[in-house]
Amino acid sequence: MRVTDLVRRAQQGDQAAFQALYGEHVGRVYALCLRLTADPAQAEELTQDAFVRAWERLASFRGESAFSSWLYRLTVNVVFLGRRTTRRRELRVLAVEDPAVLERGGREATPGLGVDLERAVAALPAGARAVFVLHDVEGYQHREIAELTGIAVGTSKAQLFRARRLLRGMLER
Amino acid sequence: MTEHANDAEFQELLAAAAKLPKSIEPPRDLWPGIEARIAVKGRRWVRRLAIPLAAAALLAVVLLGRRGTIQPQRAWDVTRVAGVPRVGATRLGAAGAVGSLQAGDWLETDDSSRAVILVGDIGHVEVKPGTRIRLVRARPDDHRLALARGAIYAKVDAPPRLFFVETPAGTAVDLGCAYSLAVDSSGNGLIHVTGGYVEFDWSGRRSIVPLGFLAPARPGLGPGTPYAEDAPEALRRELVVLDFGTGGADAVRRALAAARAEDAVSLWHLLARVDGSLRAIVYDRLAGLVPPPPGVMRDAALRLDPGTLERYWSAIRRIAWRRVILRGVRDIDPRTGLSR
Repeated sequence: MRVTDLVRRAQQGDQAAFQALYGEHVGRVYALCLRLTADPAQAEELTQDAFVRAWERLASFRGESAFSSWLYRLTVNVVFLGRRTTRRRELRVLAVEDPAVLERGGREATPGLGVDLERAVAALPAGARAVFVLHDVEGYQHREIAELTGIAVGTSKAQLFRARRLLRGMLER
Repeated sequence: MTEHANDAEFQELLAAAAKLPKSIEPPRDLWPGIEARIAVKGRRWVRRLAIPLAAAALLAVVLLGRRGTIQPQRAWDVTRVAGVPRVGATRLGAAGAVGSLQAGDWLETDDSSRAVILVGDIGHVEVKPGTRIRLVRARPDDHRLALARGAIYAKVDAPPRLFFVETPAGTAVDLGCAYSLAVDSSGNGLIHVTGGYVEFDWSGRRSIVPLGFLAPARPGLGPGTPYAEDAPEALRRELVVLDFGTGGADAVRRALAAARAEDAVSLWHLLARVDGSLRAIVYDRLAGLVPPPPGVMRDAALRLDPGTLERYWSAIRRIAWRRVILRGVRDIDPRTGLSR
Protein backbone atom coordinates (compact mmCIF):
# COMPACT_ATOMS: atom_id res chain seq x y z
CA MET A 1 0.00 0.00 0.00
CA ARG A 2 1.27 3.48 -0.85
CA VAL A 3 2.35 5.87 1.87
CA THR A 4 -0.37 8.35 0.92
CA ASP A 5 -3.01 5.66 1.37
CA LEU A 6 -1.57 4.66 4.71
CA VAL A 7 -1.55 8.30 5.82
CA ARG A 8 -5.15 8.78 4.71
CA ARG A 9 -6.27 5.68 6.57
CA ALA A 10 -4.31 6.69 9.65
CA GLN A 11 -5.94 10.11 9.52
CA GLN A 12 -9.27 8.32 9.71
CA GLY A 13 -8.17 6.60 12.92
CA ASP A 14 -6.79 3.36 11.49
CA GLN A 15 -4.08 2.33 13.96
CA ALA A 16 -2.94 -0.56 11.78
CA ALA A 17 -2.13 1.90 9.01
CA PHE A 18 -0.29 4.08 11.46
CA GLN A 19 1.66 1.05 12.65
CA ALA A 20 2.70 0.43 9.06
CA LEU A 21 3.90 4.03 8.83
CA TYR A 22 5.77 3.48 12.08
CA GLY A 23 7.48 0.42 10.64
CA GLU A 24 8.46 2.36 7.58
CA HIS A 25 9.97 5.32 9.41
CA VAL A 26 11.03 4.22 12.88
CA GLY A 27 14.65 3.63 11.90
CA ARG A 28 15.06 7.12 10.53
CA VAL A 29 13.26 8.75 13.45
CA TYR A 30 15.27 6.76 16.00
CA ALA A 31 18.54 7.61 14.24
CA LEU A 32 17.65 11.29 14.34
CA CYS A 33 16.73 11.15 18.04
CA LEU A 34 19.83 9.11 18.85
CA ARG A 35 22.18 11.53 17.15
CA LEU A 36 20.50 14.60 18.58
CA THR A 37 20.57 13.27 22.14
CA ALA A 38 23.53 10.88 22.10
CA ASP A 39 21.56 8.84 24.60
CA PRO A 40 19.95 5.55 23.49
CA ALA A 41 17.40 5.45 26.31
CA GLN A 42 16.32 9.03 25.73
CA ALA A 43 16.24 8.38 21.99
CA GLU A 44 13.82 5.51 22.52
CA GLU A 45 11.51 7.68 24.59
CA LEU A 46 11.66 10.56 22.13
CA THR A 47 10.99 8.22 19.23
CA GLN A 48 7.85 7.08 20.98
CA ASP A 49 6.94 10.67 21.80
CA ALA A 50 7.42 11.65 18.17
CA PHE A 51 5.08 8.97 16.87
CA VAL A 52 2.47 9.76 19.51
CA ARG A 53 2.68 13.43 18.54
CA ALA A 54 2.44 12.48 14.87
CA TRP A 55 -0.72 10.50 15.59
CA GLU A 56 -2.22 13.46 17.41
CA ARG A 57 -1.38 15.85 14.61
CA LEU A 58 -2.07 13.69 11.60
CA ALA A 59 -5.07 15.82 10.76
CA SER A 60 -2.76 18.79 10.22
CA PHE A 61 -0.77 16.93 7.56
CA ARG A 62 -2.10 18.20 4.23
CA GLY A 63 0.30 16.44 1.92
CA GLU A 64 2.09 19.64 0.96
CA SER A 65 5.39 17.91 1.66
CA ALA A 66 6.37 14.28 1.85
CA PHE A 67 5.05 12.53 4.93
CA SER A 68 8.62 11.62 5.84
CA SER A 69 9.71 15.29 5.77
CA TRP A 70 6.73 16.24 7.93
CA LEU A 71 7.49 13.45 10.38
CA TYR A 72 11.20 14.26 10.68
CA ARG A 73 10.49 17.93 11.26
CA LEU A 74 7.99 16.99 13.93
CA THR A 75 10.61 14.69 15.46
CA VAL A 76 13.13 17.52 15.66
CA ASN A 77 10.49 19.64 17.36
CA VAL A 78 9.77 16.89 19.87
CA VAL A 79 13.47 16.49 20.64
CA PHE A 80 13.96 20.19 21.23
CA LEU A 81 10.78 20.55 23.22
CA GLY A 82 11.88 17.60 25.37
CA ARG A 83 15.31 19.10 25.80
CA ARG A 84 13.88 22.36 27.03
CA THR A 85 11.62 20.54 29.48
CA THR A 86 14.46 18.37 30.74
CA ARG A 87 16.72 21.33 31.12
CA ARG A 88 14.10 23.23 33.09
CA ARG A 89 13.57 20.28 35.37
CA GLU A 90 17.25 19.67 35.93
CA LEU A 91 17.70 23.29 36.81
CA ARG A 92 14.79 23.16 39.22
CA VAL A 93 15.47 19.87 40.91
CA LEU A 94 19.22 19.85 41.01
CA ALA A 95 19.87 23.53 41.65
CA VAL A 96 22.86 23.20 39.38
CA GLU A 97 25.80 25.15 40.62
CA ASP A 98 27.63 25.03 37.35
CA PRO A 99 25.27 26.09 34.53
CA ALA A 100 28.01 25.38 32.02
CA VAL A 101 27.34 21.72 32.66
CA LEU A 102 23.94 22.06 31.06
CA GLU A 103 25.29 24.08 28.20
CA ARG A 104 27.86 21.38 27.56
CA GLY A 105 25.14 18.85 28.10
CA GLY A 106 27.07 15.81 26.91
CA ARG A 107 25.87 12.30 27.37
CA GLU A 108 27.52 8.97 27.43
CA ALA A 109 29.06 8.08 24.11
CA THR A 110 26.59 5.77 22.50
CA PRO A 111 27.60 2.16 22.71
CA GLY A 112 27.02 0.23 19.57
CA LEU A 113 27.34 3.11 17.17
CA GLY A 114 30.75 1.78 16.38
CA VAL A 115 32.45 4.15 14.04
CA ASP A 116 34.66 6.91 15.34
CA LEU A 117 32.64 9.65 13.72
CA GLU A 118 29.46 8.56 15.45
CA ARG A 119 31.24 8.57 18.80
CA ALA A 120 32.75 11.94 18.11
CA VAL A 121 29.38 13.39 17.14
CA ALA A 122 27.87 11.93 20.30
CA ALA A 123 30.55 13.66 22.37
CA LEU A 124 29.87 17.10 20.90
CA PRO A 125 28.22 19.75 23.08
CA ALA A 126 24.45 19.56 22.66
CA GLY A 127 23.99 22.76 20.67
CA ALA A 128 26.82 22.06 18.28
CA ARG A 129 25.78 18.45 17.90
CA ALA A 130 22.23 19.38 17.00
CA VAL A 131 23.26 21.78 14.28
CA PHE A 132 25.86 19.40 12.91
CA VAL A 133 23.39 16.51 12.77
CA LEU A 134 20.68 18.60 11.17
CA HIS A 135 22.95 20.33 8.68
CA ASP A 136 25.68 17.88 7.74
CA VAL A 137 23.89 14.59 8.30
CA GLU A 138 20.25 15.40 7.62
CA GLY A 139 20.81 18.13 5.06
CA TYR A 140 18.75 20.95 6.56
CA GLN A 141 19.64 24.55 5.69
CA HIS A 142 20.59 27.05 8.39
CA ARG A 143 17.30 28.88 7.90
CA GLU A 144 15.38 25.66 8.48
CA ILE A 145 17.50 24.76 11.50
CA ALA A 146 16.87 28.19 12.98
CA GLU A 147 13.16 27.72 12.48
CA LEU A 148 13.15 24.21 13.92
CA THR A 149 15.31 24.83 16.95
CA GLY A 150 14.47 28.42 17.79
CA ILE A 151 18.00 29.74 17.39
CA ALA A 152 19.19 32.53 15.11
CA VAL A 153 20.60 31.73 11.69
CA GLY A 154 23.92 33.23 12.77
CA THR A 155 23.96 31.01 15.84
CA SER A 156 23.33 27.99 13.69
CA LYS A 157 26.28 28.87 11.48
CA ALA A 158 28.50 29.50 14.48
CA GLN A 159 27.50 26.20 16.07
CA LEU A 160 28.23 24.36 12.85
CA PHE A 161 31.65 25.95 12.65
CA ARG A 162 32.27 24.99 16.27
CA ALA A 163 31.03 21.44 15.75
CA ARG A 164 33.22 20.87 12.74
CA ARG A 165 36.25 22.29 14.49
CA LEU A 166 35.67 20.14 17.55
CA LEU A 167 35.05 17.06 15.45
CA ARG A 168 38.23 17.52 13.52
CA GLY A 169 40.13 17.99 16.77
CA MET A 170 38.61 14.87 18.25
CA LEU A 171 39.26 12.73 15.23
CA GLU A 172 42.85 13.92 14.99
CA ARG A 173 43.69 12.80 18.53
CA MET B 1 30.88 27.17 5.59
CA THR B 2 34.02 27.67 3.68
CA GLU B 3 36.59 27.94 6.42
CA HIS B 4 38.09 24.61 5.47
CA ALA B 5 37.02 24.44 1.88
CA ASN B 6 40.47 23.50 0.63
CA ASP B 7 41.25 21.16 3.43
CA ALA B 8 41.09 17.65 2.03
CA GLU B 9 40.90 16.07 5.45
CA PHE B 10 38.01 18.33 6.36
CA GLN B 11 36.16 17.53 3.18
CA GLU B 12 36.61 13.89 4.00
CA LEU B 13 34.99 14.51 7.37
CA LEU B 14 31.99 16.15 5.74
CA ALA B 15 31.69 13.36 3.23
CA ALA B 16 31.78 10.82 6.03
CA ALA B 17 29.08 12.73 7.90
CA ALA B 18 26.87 12.78 4.83
CA LYS B 19 27.32 9.04 4.48
CA LEU B 20 26.35 8.16 8.03
CA PRO B 21 23.44 5.73 7.95
CA LYS B 22 20.15 7.61 7.88
CA SER B 23 18.34 4.79 9.56
CA ILE B 24 19.22 2.94 12.77
CA GLU B 25 16.88 0.32 14.12
CA PRO B 26 16.06 0.84 17.81
CA PRO B 27 17.27 -1.96 20.07
CA ARG B 28 13.71 -2.93 21.01
CA ASP B 29 10.25 -2.73 19.54
CA LEU B 30 8.91 0.69 20.49
CA TRP B 31 5.46 0.17 19.01
CA PRO B 32 3.72 -1.35 22.08
CA GLY B 33 4.43 1.80 24.08
CA ILE B 34 3.21 4.00 21.25
CA GLU B 35 0.12 1.89 20.72
CA ALA B 36 -0.73 2.10 24.40
CA ARG B 37 -0.48 5.86 24.45
CA ILE B 38 -2.39 6.59 21.26
CA ALA B 39 -5.16 4.24 22.31
CA VAL B 40 -5.59 6.14 25.54
CA LYS B 41 -5.51 9.50 23.83
CA GLY B 42 -7.99 8.37 21.21
CA ARG B 43 -10.34 7.16 23.85
CA ARG B 44 -10.06 10.44 25.68
CA TRP B 45 -10.97 12.34 22.52
CA VAL B 46 -14.07 10.24 21.97
CA ARG B 47 -15.04 10.66 25.56
CA ARG B 48 -14.72 14.41 25.38
CA LEU B 49 -17.01 14.56 22.37
CA ALA B 50 -19.51 12.03 23.60
CA ILE B 51 -20.22 13.15 27.09
CA PRO B 52 -19.79 16.89 27.50
CA LEU B 53 -22.31 16.86 30.31
CA ALA B 54 -20.08 14.53 32.26
CA ALA B 55 -17.30 17.07 31.93
CA ALA B 56 -19.59 19.74 33.30
CA ALA B 57 -20.48 17.46 36.17
CA LEU B 58 -16.81 16.83 36.83
CA LEU B 59 -16.19 20.56 36.88
CA ALA B 60 -18.94 20.93 39.43
CA VAL B 61 -17.33 18.24 41.57
CA VAL B 62 -13.97 19.97 41.30
CA LEU B 63 -15.48 23.28 42.31
CA LEU B 64 -17.27 21.65 45.19
CA GLY B 65 -14.05 20.01 46.22
CA ARG B 66 -12.27 23.34 46.26
CA ARG B 67 -14.98 24.98 48.30
CA GLY B 68 -15.46 22.28 50.81
CA THR B 69 -13.78 19.16 52.05
CA ILE B 70 -14.49 17.00 49.01
CA GLN B 71 -11.28 16.20 47.16
CA PRO B 72 -11.72 15.59 43.45
CA GLN B 73 -10.95 11.95 42.69
CA ARG B 74 -9.97 10.99 39.21
CA ALA B 75 -9.39 7.69 37.52
CA TRP B 76 -6.27 6.93 35.56
CA ASP B 77 -6.29 5.21 32.19
CA VAL B 78 -4.62 1.84 31.92
CA THR B 79 -3.71 0.46 28.54
CA ARG B 80 -2.93 -3.11 27.75
CA VAL B 81 0.48 -3.57 26.18
CA ALA B 82 0.62 -7.37 26.17
CA GLY B 83 -1.26 -10.37 27.56
CA VAL B 84 -4.37 -9.87 29.63
CA PRO B 85 -3.84 -7.37 32.43
CA ARG B 86 -6.72 -7.07 34.90
CA VAL B 87 -8.06 -3.78 36.23
CA GLY B 88 -10.36 -4.52 39.13
CA ALA B 89 -12.68 -7.16 37.72
CA THR B 90 -12.13 -6.09 34.11
CA ARG B 91 -9.80 -8.06 31.89
CA LEU B 92 -8.06 -6.10 29.14
CA GLY B 93 -7.55 -8.65 26.40
CA ALA B 94 -7.87 -6.76 23.15
CA ALA B 95 -5.02 -4.94 21.46
CA GLY B 96 -4.89 -1.41 22.78
CA ALA B 97 -7.68 -2.08 25.28
CA VAL B 98 -8.05 0.67 27.84
CA GLY B 99 -9.33 0.36 31.37
CA SER B 100 -10.05 2.84 34.07
CA LEU B 101 -8.15 2.55 37.33
CA GLN B 102 -10.14 4.07 40.15
CA ALA B 103 -8.83 4.83 43.61
CA GLY B 104 -8.81 1.52 45.47
CA ASP B 105 -8.64 -0.60 42.31
CA TRP B 106 -5.92 -3.16 41.75
CA LEU B 107 -4.13 -3.64 38.46
CA GLU B 108 -2.67 -7.10 38.06
CA THR B 109 -0.49 -8.56 35.35
CA ASP B 110 0.38 -12.23 34.99
CA ASP B 111 3.66 -13.58 33.67
CA SER B 112 2.89 -12.59 30.12
CA SER B 113 0.97 -9.35 30.64
CA ARG B 114 2.11 -5.77 30.61
CA ALA B 115 0.28 -2.46 30.84
CA VAL B 116 0.86 1.27 30.99
CA ILE B 117 -0.78 3.57 33.53
CA LEU B 118 -1.09 7.22 32.65
CA VAL B 119 -0.43 9.08 35.87
CA GLY B 120 -2.82 11.97 35.54
CA ASP B 121 -1.08 14.56 33.42
CA ILE B 122 2.35 14.17 34.93
CA GLY B 123 3.79 10.93 33.64
CA HIS B 124 3.33 7.26 33.08
CA VAL B 125 4.10 3.95 34.74
CA GLU B 126 4.97 0.83 32.80
CA VAL B 127 3.73 -2.20 34.66
CA LYS B 128 5.86 -5.28 34.08
CA PRO B 129 4.67 -8.91 34.10
CA GLY B 130 3.82 -10.48 37.45
CA THR B 131 2.84 -7.23 39.10
CA ARG B 132 0.09 -6.27 41.52
CA ILE B 133 -0.38 -2.54 41.99
CA ARG B 134 -3.18 -0.41 43.43
CA LEU B 135 -4.24 3.17 42.88
CA VAL B 136 -4.34 4.77 46.30
CA ARG B 137 -5.03 8.40 45.44
CA ALA B 138 -5.46 10.33 42.22
CA ARG B 139 -5.45 13.93 43.29
CA PRO B 140 -3.65 16.79 41.58
CA ASP B 141 -1.46 17.19 44.66
CA ASP B 142 -1.08 13.50 45.49
CA HIS B 143 -0.63 10.87 42.78
CA ARG B 144 -0.15 7.67 44.76
CA LEU B 145 0.19 4.01 43.87
CA ALA B 146 0.87 1.00 46.09
CA LEU B 147 3.10 -1.68 44.61
CA ALA B 148 2.48 -4.97 46.39
CA ARG B 149 4.74 -7.07 44.19
CA GLY B 150 6.28 -7.06 40.74
CA ALA B 151 8.09 -4.35 38.86
CA ILE B 152 7.36 -0.96 37.36
CA TYR B 153 9.17 1.73 35.47
CA ALA B 154 7.96 5.24 36.29
CA LYS B 155 8.69 8.43 34.44
CA VAL B 156 7.30 11.65 35.83
CA ASP B 157 7.68 15.21 34.67
CA ALA B 158 6.31 17.32 37.49
CA PRO B 159 7.45 19.32 40.48
CA PRO B 160 8.88 17.18 43.27
CA ARG B 161 6.66 15.35 45.75
CA LEU B 162 3.59 14.89 43.61
CA PHE B 163 4.05 11.23 42.74
CA PHE B 164 4.43 8.45 45.31
CA VAL B 165 4.72 4.69 45.13
CA GLU B 166 4.14 2.86 48.40
CA THR B 167 5.76 -0.53 48.89
CA PRO B 168 5.81 -2.93 51.84
CA ALA B 169 9.29 -1.58 52.66
CA GLY B 170 8.75 2.13 52.21
CA THR B 171 7.50 4.85 49.91
CA ALA B 172 9.30 6.12 46.82
CA VAL B 173 8.82 9.87 46.57
CA ASP B 174 9.41 11.41 43.16
CA LEU B 175 11.74 14.38 43.12
CA GLY B 176 11.52 14.77 39.34
CA CYS B 177 12.77 11.55 37.93
CA ALA B 178 12.61 8.23 36.15
CA TYR B 179 13.16 4.96 37.92
CA SER B 180 12.57 1.24 38.04
CA LEU B 181 11.13 -0.25 41.19
CA ALA B 182 10.77 -3.94 41.96
CA VAL B 183 9.15 -5.68 44.91
CA ASP B 184 9.55 -9.43 45.44
CA SER B 185 7.10 -11.82 47.03
CA SER B 186 8.58 -11.12 50.48
CA GLY B 187 8.04 -7.40 50.10
CA ASN B 188 11.73 -6.64 49.58
CA GLY B 189 12.22 -3.68 47.26
CA LEU B 190 14.92 -2.45 44.93
CA ILE B 191 14.89 0.93 43.26
CA HIS B 192 17.14 1.94 40.37
CA VAL B 193 17.08 5.60 39.43
CA THR B 194 17.70 6.47 35.80
CA GLY B 195 16.83 10.16 35.89
CA GLY B 196 16.77 12.84 38.59
CA TYR B 197 16.31 11.78 42.21
CA VAL B 198 14.02 9.63 44.29
CA GLU B 199 13.54 9.80 48.02
CA PHE B 200 12.78 6.47 49.66
CA ASP B 201 11.13 6.81 53.07
CA TRP B 202 9.97 4.48 55.79
CA SER B 203 9.09 5.48 59.32
CA GLY B 204 11.54 8.36 59.49
CA ARG B 205 14.34 6.49 57.72
CA ARG B 206 15.20 8.17 54.45
CA SER B 207 17.45 7.41 51.49
CA ILE B 208 18.00 9.84 48.66
CA VAL B 209 18.76 7.91 45.52
CA PRO B 210 20.28 9.90 42.66
CA LEU B 211 20.58 9.13 38.98
CA GLY B 212 22.83 6.10 38.48
CA PHE B 213 22.26 4.68 41.97
CA LEU B 214 20.23 1.83 43.43
CA ALA B 215 18.81 1.23 46.86
CA PRO B 216 17.33 -1.94 48.37
CA ALA B 217 14.57 -1.90 50.99
CA ARG B 218 13.23 -4.45 53.46
CA PRO B 219 9.83 -4.58 55.21
CA GLY B 220 10.15 -3.45 58.77
CA LEU B 221 13.59 -1.98 58.17
CA GLY B 222 12.99 0.51 55.39
CA PRO B 223 15.33 1.69 52.67
CA GLY B 224 18.95 0.67 52.66
CA THR B 225 21.94 2.77 51.77
CA PRO B 226 22.06 3.80 48.10
CA TYR B 227 25.00 2.52 46.10
CA ALA B 228 26.37 3.37 42.67
CA GLU B 229 25.65 1.16 39.67
CA ASP B 230 29.35 0.36 39.56
CA ALA B 231 29.91 0.12 43.31
CA PRO B 232 32.42 -2.56 44.37
CA GLU B 233 30.85 -5.85 45.34
CA ALA B 234 32.58 -5.72 48.72
CA LEU B 235 30.90 -2.41 49.50
CA ARG B 236 27.46 -3.67 48.45
CA ARG B 237 27.91 -6.75 50.62
CA GLU B 238 28.86 -4.76 53.70
CA LEU B 239 26.02 -2.29 53.17
CA VAL B 240 23.56 -5.17 53.26
CA VAL B 241 25.08 -6.31 56.54
CA LEU B 242 24.87 -2.80 57.96
CA ASP B 243 21.36 -2.03 56.70
CA PHE B 244 19.62 -5.33 57.21
CA GLY B 245 21.99 -7.61 59.08
CA THR B 246 24.02 -7.61 62.22
CA GLY B 247 25.96 -4.44 61.43
CA GLY B 248 28.83 -3.74 63.76
CA ALA B 249 32.13 -1.94 63.71
CA ASP B 250 33.88 -4.53 61.55
CA ALA B 251 31.29 -4.20 58.81
CA VAL B 252 31.63 -0.42 58.91
CA ARG B 253 35.40 -0.65 58.59
CA ARG B 254 35.16 -3.12 55.73
CA ALA B 255 32.64 -0.88 53.96
CA LEU B 256 34.90 2.14 54.38
CA ALA B 257 37.87 0.20 53.08
CA ALA B 258 35.97 -0.84 49.98
CA ALA B 259 34.54 2.60 49.24
CA ARG B 260 35.89 4.84 46.49
CA ALA B 261 35.34 8.54 45.93
CA GLU B 262 32.56 7.47 43.58
CA ASP B 263 30.78 5.98 46.60
CA ALA B 264 30.52 9.25 48.54
CA VAL B 265 26.72 9.11 48.26
CA SER B 266 26.80 5.84 50.20
CA LEU B 267 29.19 7.14 52.86
CA TRP B 268 27.15 10.31 53.32
CA HIS B 269 24.12 8.17 54.12
CA LEU B 270 26.17 6.05 56.52
CA LEU B 271 27.07 9.12 58.58
CA ALA B 272 23.62 9.20 60.13
CA ARG B 273 23.16 5.44 60.18
CA VAL B 274 26.16 4.13 62.05
CA ASP B 275 26.53 4.10 65.78
CA GLY B 276 27.72 7.46 67.14
CA SER B 277 31.02 5.95 68.19
CA LEU B 278 31.77 5.04 64.56
CA ARG B 279 30.65 8.28 62.99
CA ALA B 280 34.08 9.88 63.14
CA ILE B 281 35.76 7.17 61.08
CA VAL B 282 32.98 7.40 58.51
CA TYR B 283 33.35 11.16 58.28
CA ASP B 284 37.13 11.00 58.06
CA ARG B 285 36.98 8.45 55.28
CA LEU B 286 34.35 10.48 53.41
CA ALA B 287 36.34 13.69 53.83
CA GLY B 288 39.43 11.88 52.60
CA LEU B 289 37.64 10.75 49.46
CA VAL B 290 35.57 13.88 48.72
CA PRO B 291 36.89 16.98 50.47
CA PRO B 292 34.06 18.79 52.27
CA PRO B 293 33.04 22.11 50.76
CA PRO B 294 33.70 25.39 52.60
CA GLY B 295 31.49 25.72 55.66
CA VAL B 296 31.33 22.03 56.46
CA MET B 297 33.00 21.51 59.82
CA ARG B 298 33.87 18.11 61.19
CA ASP B 299 32.36 18.60 64.63
CA ALA B 300 29.10 19.88 63.15
CA ALA B 301 28.91 16.90 60.81
CA LEU B 302 29.53 14.53 63.72
CA ARG B 303 26.66 16.20 65.57
CA LEU B 304 24.57 15.55 62.44
CA ASP B 305 23.85 19.25 62.10
CA PRO B 306 21.21 19.38 59.33
CA GLY B 307 22.63 22.44 57.57
CA THR B 308 26.11 20.96 57.53
CA LEU B 309 24.93 17.62 56.18
CA GLU B 310 22.82 19.36 53.55
CA ARG B 311 25.79 21.45 52.40
CA TYR B 312 27.98 18.39 52.10
CA TRP B 313 25.20 16.54 50.30
CA SER B 314 24.82 19.31 47.74
CA ALA B 315 28.47 18.96 46.83
CA ILE B 316 28.36 15.17 46.74
CA ARG B 317 25.20 14.93 44.66
CA ARG B 318 26.52 17.45 42.14
CA ILE B 319 29.69 15.43 41.69
CA ALA B 320 27.71 12.19 41.35
CA TRP B 321 25.41 13.78 38.80
CA ARG B 322 28.26 15.11 36.69
CA ARG B 323 30.03 11.79 36.85
CA VAL B 324 27.01 9.96 35.47
CA ILE B 325 25.82 12.37 32.81
CA LEU B 326 29.30 13.05 31.47
CA ARG B 327 30.39 9.42 31.51
CA GLY B 328 32.14 8.68 28.24
CA VAL B 329 32.30 12.36 27.36
CA ARG B 330 34.59 13.75 30.02
CA ASP B 331 36.82 12.21 32.61
CA ILE B 332 35.29 13.53 35.82
CA ASP B 333 37.34 13.59 38.99
CA PRO B 334 35.07 11.88 41.56
CA ARG B 335 36.70 13.91 44.33
CA THR B 336 35.79 17.29 42.89
CA GLY B 337 33.39 16.82 39.98
CA LEU B 338 35.71 18.74 37.70
CA SER B 339 37.02 17.51 34.37
CA ARG B 340 40.46 15.97 34.64
